[in-house]
Amino acid sequence: MKKYSLLLWTFICVLSVSAQTLNDAQIRQRVNQAAAAMKTLQCDFVQIKHLKMLNEEMLAQGKMYYQQSNKLRWEYTNPYTYTFVLNGDKVLLKNQQRNDVIDVNQNKIFREIARIMMSSVVGNSLLDNKTFKTTITINNSEWIATQIPQRKDMRQIFQRIVLHFNPQCAVVSCVEMIEKNGDKTVINLKNIRTNETLNASIFAVH
Amino acid sequence: MLRYLLCIDLLFCFITASAQLSFPTNEGERKRYSAYIEMSRGYISGVCILVNEKSIIKGSLFNEFGITALDFSYDPCRKKIHLYSVIAMMDKWYIRRVLKKDLVQLMSCLQHGKYGYRNERQQITYQFTPIADEVTQ
Repeated sequence: MKKYSLLLWTFICVLSVSAQTLNDAQIRQRVNQAAAAMKTLQCDFVQIKHLKMLNEEMLAQGKMYYQQSNKLRWEYTNPYTYTFVLNGDKVLLKNQQRNDVIDVNQNKIFREIARIMMSSVVGNSLLDNKTFKTTITINNSEWIATQIPQRKDMRQIFQRIVLHFNPQCAVVSCVEMIEKNGDKTVINLKNIRTNETLNASIFAVH
Repeated sequence: MLRYLLCIDLLFCFITASAQLSFPTNEGERKRYSAYIEMSRGYISGVCILVNEKSIIKGSLFNEFGITALDFSYDPCRKKIHLYSVIAMMDKWYIRRVLKKDLVQLMSCLQHGKYGYRNERQQITYQFTPIADEVTQ
């Protein structure tokens, strides 16, 4: 009798693991499909920086635009102005003091920043097993992907990055970046609109 | 004569107010700055927050995306900087040494209503511009 119970439990456990794996795989697939179908995306964002040492918060707001497959505009409007535009191999950095255009192929740091920002926004970083070890949990209203950096340069900065997805459209709704020193930055994407025509000048890098 | 005195008085008030605005002099007070540090090989921009905690100034400097570059404290009486954490790519003994010296000078400048400091020897310019308080979500 004991043997049968043990077998039954083992069977149930195997089934549960399979179901979880299947769900993970399905979620990854749906996010990937949504990313492929997403020609453009535009939204407002609110960024909250939690400073552990100061026990303070800093709020910033802005707008984000994405166009498949390698165009991104990340623009802070309040309380400071700062614009990051990625267009193919070029990055434009614009602050109150200056404008700089950087070739990402000649700058490893910016190549990484651009890659991570893009893949996090679209959500296809879930498939990037080299950069992150990703676990997915599901709750009632969202899918949560917890990503542990695998590469040394990333591990030196981040403990983990958490992406929240809206299950209805499989699009990222919130990005949490937890740093090694305990600081945390939460970026909430709001008023998300997909597949609307964007003016080419949004991604101009000169 | 009265006019001149009034002008001088207004000017004095303005200077005092500017100096007060630039540094967290009172317990629990905090100030935020748009930070810009220019070196010969490039620049760092972002935000710096200073908080007065029991007469010690605690500060954090992070880039616009929220990645923290520095956590430090400044003792205005002893004119000393303590670096708690420095981002890995800047965490070298020679960078720490320059940072400590420059932050002492910079904090002193901010205390006296100046928003910048230049290290002529290393050719580093620090420019801290106050940011208006809070945006609402």
